[in-house]
Amino acid sequence: MNTVLWIIFLPIILFVIGTFMLGYSRKFIARIERRYGPPIQQVFYDVFKLMSKKTNISHGWMHDIAMLVLLGGTLATLYFVPVPGFSYFAQYGDMLVIMYILLVPALGMALGVGETANPNGSIGISRALMMLAGYDIPFVLTFIGFGMLNHTTSMYDLMMIQQAGGFTSWGLISNPLLGIAALIALQGMIGEKPFEVMVAPHEIATGPMTEMGGKFLGIMMIQHAISLVVELTLYINLFLGGAMNWFEYIIKLFVLFTVLISVNAVFGRFRTDDAVRFMWKIPLPMAVIGILFIIF
Amino acid sequence: MEEKLTQRSVWEKISAKLTKRSLWMLHYCTGCGAVELPPTMTARFDMERFGINPMVTPRQADILLITGYLSIKTLKRVVLTYEQMQGPKYVVGFGSCTINGGMYWNSYATMKSLDRYIPVETYIAGCMPRPEAIIASFNDLIAKIDRGEANSWKEYYNNYDFYKENQNKVFEGPIETYNDIKADAALFKI
Repeated sequence: MNTVLWIIFLPIILFVIGTFMLGYSRKFIARIERRYGPPIQQVFYDVFKLMSKKTNISHGWMHDIAMLVLLGGTLATLYFVPVPGFSYFAQYGDMLVIMYILLVPALGMALGVGETANPNGSIGISRALMMLAGYDIPFVLTFIGFGMLNHTTSMYDLMMIQQAGGFTSWGLISNPLLGIAALIALQGMIGEKPFEVMVAPHEIATGPMTEMGGKFLGIMMIQHAISLVVELTLYINLFLGGAMNWFEYIIKLFVLFTVLISVNAVFGRFRTDDAVRFMWKIPLPMAVIGILFIIF
Repeated sequence: MEEKLTQRSVWEKISAKLTKRSLWMLHYCTGCGAVELPPTMTARFDMERFGINPMVTPRQADILLITGYLSIKTLKRVVLTYEQMQGPKYVVGFGSCTINGGMYWNSYATMKSLDRYIPVETYIAGCMPRPEAIIASFNDLIAKIDRGEANSWKEYYNNYDFYKENQNKVFEGPIETYNDIKADAALFKI
């Protein structure tokens, strides 16, 4: 019974946390730019506004279904990520499973945007998949290195080992090379500057979202809020020792997110090729050297 | 009886309270007013505190801000842009050129009154209006949405023939648009 309740309410809880984090990031960046900024609940207003639009132009049935693939892929991922109090699937699901399902939303988005036939959207999708090749390889390598060290590929076990070992056994402390490489890859994964090549409002008119209006964009915003929390939780569980209660979890989420958006606030945007080159030049060798340290 | 018909349900009132806090703006600045917008968006006047953000595509936008005069050629693009926006959508005419032609009244190449071609929600008078005037008009628009009176976008669906006729008069023949407005009106029950 408890598990069923968690399955129903976990997406809603993560959505609420995610929207507050997005609102917090807008306020944070506004304060850096010496503006007053929107209220912290602004993203709720935005999502509500989009979902209550009166006209919603669909470009065909693939456009509609792709939105469900997008949201469904994200929901499938979040059940496999252990959060405090709920790790039912995470005990059985492996880290490798998560790495596979993480790709589903990107593919869903590619299908939907293909149907809209907007050139800006196609450019955005090609950039998103290019960026995926950039950040996924360092991230998978850091995870493999960390798994080799602890002789397990289960995220739940990795989290438990770190919990048992205390502060000094956190991935970021015990393997700083892997931790920092994954942090850079995470910046690309959540799509913040300088790796914001997929959205790039000034170049390609928000890329995949160009033709999305009303409810379509609303679903994309909900998905963005949830996947943001899921991706940050991945990092927390692997390198920041996970969390045993919700207070600790939310503190860690906001601290990690503040680090990432601070980088976002002061950087411009890389070109796509430069972003991928950077990912393969800095985090990838760091991850490889980290793995060599573990092997020898 | 008349009053009862125009009364809004509780849900519509709550919905208006929330949606008025999030308006995304598409600015169409082929006229001369674009220089007044950067101070409106950035630190000095900061319109994001009202939830008004600049957006880049018509599909996502709620406000279409049209600055300055429109020539016949650019009006064509405005109509295409306006039809791609998703309702509820609000057009804000900026500067006296959109109201009555302004200083281009005698020009053969510009159109005079914007609301003959697309329904306009609010106007900002002046040449040029200052950022304070833009913020004031956005606050007017927000208050209007809250009262449930910002329904001019429905006019375009209901009086499509009127707007189409005026457009055809200046374009000298029908233009090719991507949206079937009458079918949309039937589909979304407007």
